[in-house]
Amino acid sequence: MTTNTYIHGIGMTKFGTHVDRTLKELLLDASRQALEDAGRPKVDAVFVGNFLAGSMSNQEILGAIVANDLGLGFVPTAKVEGACASGGIALRQAVLAVMSGEHDTVLVAGVEKMKHAKTAEVTQAINAAMDTDSSEKSAGLTFPGFFGVLANRYFHETGASKKHLAMVALKNRENAMNNSLAQFTKETSLDEIMNARMITDPLGLFDCSPMTDGAAALVISRKPSGIHIKASSLVSGPTQMQDAADLLSIPAIGESGRHAYEKAGLGPEDIDVVEIHDCFSMTEMIAIEELGFFPRLEGWKAVEKGLTKASGEKPVNTSGGLLSRGHPIGATGLAQIYQLVRQLRGDAANQVEGARIALAQNLGGTGSYSAVHILERV
Amino acid sequence: MKKLKVYFCCGHETVVKRVYCPTCGTDGISEREVEDKGRIYSFTKIHVPPSEFAHLAPYYVALVQLDGTNAKVTARMTEDIAIGDKVELFNVEDGAYVYKKA
Ligand SMILES: [Zn+2]
Repeated sequence: MTTNTYIHGIGMTKFGTHVDRTLKELLLDASRQALEDAGRPKVDAVFVGNFLAGSMSNQEILGAIVANDLGLGFVPTAKVEGACASGGIALRQAVLAVMSGEHDTVLVAGVEKMKHAKTAEVTQAINAAMDTDSSEKSAGLTFPGFFGVLANRYFHETGASKKHLAMVALKNRENAMNNSLAQFTKETSLDEIMNARMITDPLGLFDCSPMTDGAAALVISRKPSGIHIKASSLVSGPTQMQDAADLLSIPAIGESGRHAYEKAGLGPEDIDVVEIHDCFSMTEMIAIEELGFFPRLEGWKAVEKGLTKASGEKPVNTSGGLLSRGHPIGATGLAQIYQLVRQLRGDAANQVEGARIALAQNLGGTGSYSAVHILERV
Repeated sequence: MKKLKVYFCCGHETVVKRVYCPTCGTDGISEREVEDKGRIYSFTKIHVPPSEFAHLAPYYVALVQLDGTNAKVTARMTEDIAIGDKVELFNVEDGAYVYKKA
């Protein structure tokens, strides 16, 4: 079933390091941009996507802060947590709130501030998205580590190598170079990516999304606009690597994609432009397979042929993706939508000519959550 | 040496204990002990650890395909390893399965 919910406004801060701006300032900046882009409608509810503000900034009540500081009045608000999928899940809750008939117009915002902390502290805080009561977390597995284990097996079973992961990272950097809101816009090369410092074998620095400060926001409504949210889906999946039936599959991505295609009455072949959750280069490889864009265990061939470049037949992450646009965790799912709305409006960085149908996929944990939204220019 | 437990129902075996079987929905999940030996299914060498494991880095995290079951277990190791290497459980440290080459 389609949502009959429309996007009216989008907002996004620059992603990167915001030493002089607080979490709240970033959140309010993106929210204000979205409200003004939407023509300052009356807002009936607010959902905020965030993962680390409690543990790293000692800040909760984000929903109430947005409503209060934007002067929205006595409206219902909530913070939504789903690790790196927090933003996508917040959007889905907002869509459901409109679909239910309870609200006409909802503000959805996502934010994260991470750059003030040390890498080890951030890695530790992010590990809250693993099952703490598991032998796997006790073994010292990390999120990059999970995708490193997956990558080594993927190499073992296919003809892929570290070079193919580097091609994903290079493509996303090339896209980010045209996106003024992206965190990394400096030119790089396959050579630099291949020889970068190792984080978790075989993933090097460029294969891993960075720590990022930033916020993004949307205004959605039952009132029609030029951008229809054709489908919204969300599933939970395995929470531990050692419990996966197939290490080379992230079933939450595949299932959320199938649900969204079914609701939209579309298939992977109908999608003109895609933002997927490339928290690691390896994740993008698996996701383009799980979402049905390329056959299983053959994503690397598509990457080698350049099919996922902005100029390719299935443009993936024209924003630069998490790898180069940046990954302020709670904002990521909404930054994906920001880029896709720009694509459908026709004024995006790395504009895909005539884009009409767009898909965003937002992952939480190692496959614990996956949210998919399909947008249509109407 | 310690034995590992696997939980099984509807043809699926896993080291993760569940309340209900995701296939048949019942709580009729059985458990049995399995050999702690296996082979490296895949692995990574972690150079950038979370703060609680900083003193161990760099270390390996391996997914071990256990012998005599289709279940796998996540293990920590310190030796250089490759896919297919034979390994066995060495110790359980603070809830972690620590494996060594067999
Ligand atoms: Zn069963």
